Amino acid sequence: MTAPVTMAGTHTTHYRSMTWVWRAVAIVFAAVTVFPVYWMVQSAFEPNGDITSLTPSFFPVHFTLHNFVDAVNHTAGTGQAYFWDNARNSLVVVTTATAATLLIGFLAAAAVSRFRLVGAKAFLVLILVVQMVPGTALIIPLFLLLNNLHLTDNYLGLILAYSASTLPFTIWALRGFVRGVPIELEEAAMVDGASRLGAFMRILLPLVLPGLISSGVFAFITAWNDFLVADVIMQQNYHQTLPVWLYSFTTNTGTDYGGLMAGCTIMALPVVIFFLLVQRRIVSGLTAGAVKT
Amino acid sequence: MAAPTVPDLAPARTERPIPGAPSYGRRATRSSWRRSLRRRLFPLLLLVPALGLLGLMTLYPLGRLIATSFQDLGLFQLVSHKVVWNGLANYRTIFSSGGGLGTSVLQTVVFVVACVGLTMAIGTGVAVLLGRIGNVLRTVVTVCMLFAWSMPTSAAAIVWTWLFETEYGLVNSVLTSIGFSFTNHNWFGSEISAYGVIVANIVWGAVPFVALMMYSALTLVPRDLYEAAAVDGASPATTFREVTLPIVRPIFVLLTVLSIIWDANVFNQVWYLTQGNAQQVNVIPLGVWQYIEAFSSNQYGLGAAVAVVMILLLVAVTGYYIRIMVRTGQIRAEAKA
Repeated sequence: MTAPVTMAGTHTTHYRSMTWVWRAVAIVFAAVTVFPVYWMVQSAFEPNGDITSLTPSFFPVHFTLHNFVDAVNHTAGTGQAYFWDNARNSLVVVTTATAATLLIGFLAAAAVSRFRLVGAKAFLVLILVVQMVPGTALIIPLFLLLNNLHLTDNYLGLILAYSASTLPFTIWALRGFVRGVPIELEEAAMVDGASRLGAFMRILLPLVLPGLISSGVFAFITAWNDFLVADVIMQQNYHQTLPVWLYSFTTNTGTDYGGLMAGCTIMALPVVIFFLLVQRRIVSGLTAGAVKT
Repeated sequence: MAAPTVPDLAPARTERPIPGAPSYGRRATRSSWRRSLRRRLFPLLLLVPALGLLGLMTLYPLGRLIATSFQDLGLFQLVSHKVVWNGLANYRTIFSSGGGLGTSVLQTVVFVVACVGLTMAIGTGVAVLLGRIGNVLRTVVTVCMLFAWSMPTSAAAIVWTWLFETEYGLVNSVLTSIGFSFTNHNWFGSEISAYGVIVANIVWGAVPFVALMMYSALTLVPRDLYEAAAVDGASPATTFREVTLPIVRPIFVLLTVLSIIWDANVFNQVWYLTQGNAQQVNVIPLGVWQYIEAFSSNQYGLGAAVAVVMILLLVAVTGYYIRIMVRTGQIRAEAKA
């Protein structure tokens, strides 16, 4: 993480005697914070008999993978298991939308920070305003629009929706990264005969890779999490994405919580791994952009 | 759905503005007007995909939302592509005494205030706490927070339904085993208790981000300022008010605004935790209510009117904060850009 903070002036004798209290509070807070995640994983590996027991155990006594098999084969009363279809839909749609938003966002960020553009200020204000509009409130017209365009039950509709919803943040974040790259590097490439677009793609793009990675992870997670848009736009079961698939577990009476927790674990795993890999960059990137005034 | 929003507060770096629109170098002298036109158009072309996408998927829907809120649009009109304008009828319906707008607005406001207040209070507390514990423990706490932060909201909400499950849920059995009678207690039976669990779930997921950001902000306070304050004999409270607060206030205000936007926009947690029974237990914040009107009752016009009210409410609140941010000089960066 970031450098340790030591607040001199607070290190008086009084506060030193409080150290043990702070430690205790920190441990309790950490335990409460991580517990739901732990409980998800432990329930996922626990046999059904142990899960539906009135005296739950805090550690998996009888380890099993059965819940994962159940989750993957879960039919939600439709007579057919949609896990693999839905997982593929999620992966295809979210990956494509992330790639699209990164490319479009990169071009826009380069345009507003590398040229003195008449409309640049208006464009940035537009981006800010768009970010203020709650996505939940736009679901009705989005559905009407995609319905008119015959893009419901279609990958493209969902990809467009996810790219648009993550684009403002991507542009905003990438703009900061583009400004950090000296323009001389591109000028040198152009003296050597590269076109302007060529200089962007071959010089600038690789240099803002850290920015692309961190805003890409954000876009990926946002789209991966979405329930509302997928639920409204995709009507067939086999067109759905994983969050909607998870929701289908709970509609049955007598939820299979072991299978459900296994499903949650499957869905959360890629995001958690992703996050742990890039968290250093996310936190430092965000704070560098947001804190230094 | 809502993309994370982090306005860049860094002052515009002293980047070199390129003289004359056509950018790189000054070779433009020998170019014809046509080449110069092409150079002028080039940056605009780079913006076209972004403008097209936002125009099609955000601005057009925004306009259409407002239009729809003045229409009678049900399943029949949707299928037959009929446009039936009905003036203010939708608004009259939701504003009427039985329309439920008052309840929904009140619930939304209380809900957002509770979520944002608790998130900011606990998050700031944890940030201060992180500064007072050793390196090892701080790393442990940080890793635990990263797990909670990275959990997808859908998966997290479902895990919480399992924790608070009526028959076999852990919370009920633990509470019962320490002497309270919570056997078969239904946490989602009444609106207050359902909201309680939803708020707890959201705050749990939101605190890590706020805590880590606030902790980073606190590390920016120069040590010598604290030493100077100590030399001057300032009390901890005075030190906090006079030294810490002015430096961390901008990021605090920013995080508050972001939290308001995110929490007003919450859908997943409400929907998953109430298992689709939100309306039955009278848990209807605006975002959920407009969804129910539109997609459960197929009254798209009515839902759109609710959504418009929701946007106006959010603009009113965040507009006030954005003015504060502008006044404290934080949005200057983009004005200069």
